[in-house]
Amino acid sequence: MQHISGVGARIIAGAALGLASPAIAGGTTAGTRIDNQATASYDGPGGTVTVPSNTVSLTVDELLDVTVVSADPGDVQAIPGSADRVLTFTVTNTGNGDEAFGLASAGTLGGDDFDPAVTAIVLDSNGNGAYDAGVDTVYVAGGNDPLLAPDASVTVFLLSTIPGGAGDGHRGRAQLSAEASTGSGAPGASFAGQGQGGGNAIVGATGADADASGFYAVSAATVGFVKSATVADPFGGTSAVPGSVITYSLVATVSGTGTLGNLAIADAIPAGSSYRPGTLTLQGAALTDAADGDAGELASGAIAVRLGNVAGGQVRTVTFQVQVD
Amino acid sequence: MKRLVFALAALLSPALAHAANDVALTSAVFVEKTVLANGQQKIVLEEPSLVVPGDKLVFVLNYRNRGATPATDFVVTNPMPGAVAFQSSPDQAAVVSIDGGRSWGTLSSLKVKESDGTVRGARPEDVTHVRWTFAKAIPAGQGGKLSFRGVVR
Repeated sequence: MQHISGVGARIIAGAALGLASPAIAGGTTAGTRIDNQATASYDGPGGTVTVPSNTVSLTVDELLDVTVVSADPGDVQAIPGSADRVLTFTVTNTGNGDEAFGLASAGTLGGDDFDPAVTAIVLDSNGNGAYDAGVDTVYVAGGNDPLLAPDASVTVFLLSTIPGGAGDGHRGRAQLSAEASTGSGAPGASFAGQGQGGGNAIVGATGADADASGFYAVSAATVGFVKSATVADPFGGTSAVPGSVITYSLVATVSGTGTLGNLAIADAIPAGSSYRPGTLTLQGAALTDAADGDAGELASGAIAVRLGNVAGGQVRTVTFQVQVD
Repeated sequence: MKRLVFALAALLSPALAHAANDVALTSAVFVEKTVLANGQQKIVLEEPSLVVPGDKLVFVLNYRNRGATPATDFVVTNPMPGAVAFQSSPDQAAVVSIDGGRSWGTLSSLKVKESDGTVRGARPEDVTHVRWTFAKAIPAGQGGKLSFRGVVR
């Protein structure tokens, strides 16, 4: 039996009041007290009386939650046999208390073509989001588990060696997992008295254990090399006689999805012939014979042409002429 | 047990019947949990042993006029704990404040002016205080229960 009347006034508030607790994704910080006390006032025989209620108190317990996401925009390109290839992950404490997280890696997984050999987990200790060898701290399980405040993140790198036998275009998966050090398990599982602020710790929706994968993609390249010769003799024929001019064509064809770095072509002038000055070309454009700013020269009885980095699918053609002695 | 102690105190101290505190107000809080019983989901109120953000709380206020005279103009005011967002009160006529108790109204009648000047309807989480104003006096010996729900921010 209640006798209550509402107040129907329409009111425009000046401004919304700020929230007493910070609005973080994980919610109210663990250890925060919730105290509730109401007050009654009424008119009694002796005038207006104010009566406080008892105060009921709760302490917000710690929710254990974590997420791990890959921070790489796509597959990380790598060549077979290379070491210290870097996958990047972000580990975020989505719970409501300060929590340390144990990290683990795995490279032998399904759903890929080869198994990267994970050689280290590295913490981005200078916080720049990029792996800095010798600067960022190598993770040691139980030794430097990252301690994260609610909503805080840490960037973590996985370093792997790519097997030498990995084929061009193959993908290899590696995984980083993070687990709350207080405990993990089925959502709702609790750890009495182990929460921040003296309360309990409770496993949240993430199970307090999360993982994410990144992929390495092998981009290998190979070069095919074909040398051909055409002979023009002084009499309009194609016989190799003294005075004949032989035009050599060297064709380098790069195939695969990768790039060959600093590809170079060298070819000795055959015995019994002499180089014809000024006949060295690359892609049909003349190169000087001297060792100077351009890509090729004649030196020590051989032509040498530097092709630089050549990506798969491209072709480089070098020609030069000799005269039969 | 507590009620028994109050009753004894009232019996033993008749001289205090006209004293100030002859209306008692007690506050309690419960956590609403969904449990699986006989394969069916059931909502139960539990003593709060574990409380985490997102949990639904039910605050209950019991009042009783232990005095010998009616209590008139009875008003109960409950400031919201900072870490709890108001949700609703089953008492239709409960009014709320979103400005620290300066002004009151039903939630749908209140407006919030944002810092950029726009005005929007008040939301439950804006509530700073809940208030019940009784139109009729509480007769001597009578009491009742008020409640509201909140969610841990």
